[in-house]
Amino acid sequence: MSAGAASLPPPDLSTRVGPLRLRNPILTASGTFGYGLEFAERADLHRLGGLVTKGLSLEPLAGNPPVRIAETRGGMLNSIGLQNIGVDRFLSDVLPGLKDLPPKVIVNLFGYAQDDYVRLAERVDPYEGVAAVELNVSCPNVSKGGIEFGHDPEILSRLVRRVRSATDKPIIVKLSPNVTSPQALGRAAEEGGADILSAVNTFVGMAIDTATMRPVLSTIRGGLSGPAIKPLALRIVFDVAREVDLPVIGIGGIETVDDVLEFLLAGASAVQVGTALFRDPRTAERLVDGLRERLRAEGTPSVESLIGAAARAE
Amino acid sequence: MAALDSRGEVLDVQALPLPYFLLRARVGAMEPAEPGQFVMVAGANRPEPYLRRAFSVYDQEATPDGSLVISLLGKVIGRGTEALAACVPGERIPVLGPLGTGFHSVVDHSPESGRAALVAGGIGSAGLGLLAQALERAGRSFDFFYGGRSAEDLVEAETFRRLSERAGGRLVKTTEDGSAGERGLITTPLEAGLRAGAGYTTIFTCGPHGLMAAVARIAAAGGVAGEAATETPMGCGYGACLGCAVTLKNGGYALCCRQGPVFRLDEVAW
Repeated sequence: MSAGAASLPPPDLSTRVGPLRLRNPILTASGTFGYGLEFAERADLHRLGGLVTKGLSLEPLAGNPPVRIAETRGGMLNSIGLQNIGVDRFLSDVLPGLKDLPPKVIVNLFGYAQDDYVRLAERVDPYEGVAAVELNVSCPNVSKGGIEFGHDPEILSRLVRRVRSATDKPIIVKLSPNVTSPQALGRAAEEGGADILSAVNTFVGMAIDTATMRPVLSTIRGGLSGPAIKPLALRIVFDVAREVDLPVIGIGGIETVDDVLEFLLAGASAVQVGTALFRDPRTAERLVDGLRERLRAEGTPSVESLIGAAARAE
Repeated sequence: MAALDSRGEVLDVQALPLPYFLLRARVGAMEPAEPGQFVMVAGANRPEPYLRRAFSVYDQEATPDGSLVISLLGKVIGRGTEALAACVPGERIPVLGPLGTGFHSVVDHSPESGRAALVAGGIGSAGLGLLAQALERAGRSFDFFYGGRSAEDLVEAETFRRLSERAGGRLVKTTEDGSAGERGLITTPLEAGLRAGAGYTTIFTCGPHGLMAAVARIAAAGGVAGEAATETPMGCGYGACLGCAVTLKNGGYALCCRQGPVFRLDEVAW
């Protein structure tokens, strides 16, 4: 990084994430941006690199009973329970409003059984507006399905292989942090034919109400997100990026340009912004502008020149 | 609903006294709130608490320069309300709103709509401020039932006395310690009023969950329709996090921030 930035061409924010080409590395994370259109009136969707939908299942889901969220130091716990409108309504009612916008639309899929994932992938496969699918195999908030696929390498590998046969869309596997070796699961996803890994989902945690002496969340345990998890997520992204030959999308407590840079330097090819959107719905677009400014000021030619720089130094 | 995120300029924070406070902020492009709508706000430049807080718009006034001045009536109970009460004039605070669905039946208010009962528990009075004003403007008569633990909790009693009397009604106070009004719960005079033929055609309530549940039972027993401004922990305030579920009688969930915060008394599973 050198001085004399004024004479250089504007920094190139685009990034290749396996088969996906994004015009910038800032995406919104599943479950934090609705289906995208909820934000149309309070955020500039046009500036994002991509958006990941709320997890979609074959049938609509009502979600968990209240209380579903609890604020913690530097973040929050959630146990939403995958409330969603179902894949069919998303494809018929929501996707038409999203597909002509510049950000790539990534559809997050959730199932109770392997067959569910296969059928979901088949359902979205014909839709051109869907740039990729992200398999949610790591949601900590449903009693059945999801997470069990993300905690056993053999099962995960088999699941990805079956989804691979159902769609030509790029497959992103979202890794759980609640395992001893996320990189082992990443390798399993790679063996199954995944194109991209996203890391990480929320960390299982809990909170207790000292007045009632009961757990705050109706499900007792929930997923921790927000700045509190950033160093933990960063370490996992660093290890996964070094040990698995797939591009990684970094997720976990990202809120500032420095956070974005740290994940890129750790080896992420792009990032997803989540909980910070609740605090400020314009966080993602501000990060796009902020990143461009920072690269320009430091004379960094491109986002891609940063990816994995910290790993190479080891 | 075009809810914009703007920087509000804090005009003043009045201790009423504490723990109650009234924060006034000038917001740029915000549309006026309907009765029952809310804003998501936070203290200035504070990393903690992490999430914004939902506040009913208690009062609002359009200024000649086209901006809106909103008043938020709050009670310091934790880190979020502490940060707001500590704001100083001139500070810029994030304000997202107006959000949510307010008191739907507000459009029907007229002198012919019959008498209304407004039932507030403590700081729940913040959720009924704009509604009381709307009723008074529409010429619809109402009694304001204001309950609290003690006299300090009836922090806006004079405002609601003035509004209800102008509307041809009255203020009824109760406190659990008897330091203001009758000793006891506010539901007692509400029930007595209904039995004595006060002729309420609508009941509106905002307050602790137990109070709103009791008001819902009383309204159902008396065959009176009504609405409640509910409250749940909220992540975002605009429907993205899905964290603010309210359980309905039909077994489903509704989002407090979008379908609510105001619900019909008979649709919520209290």
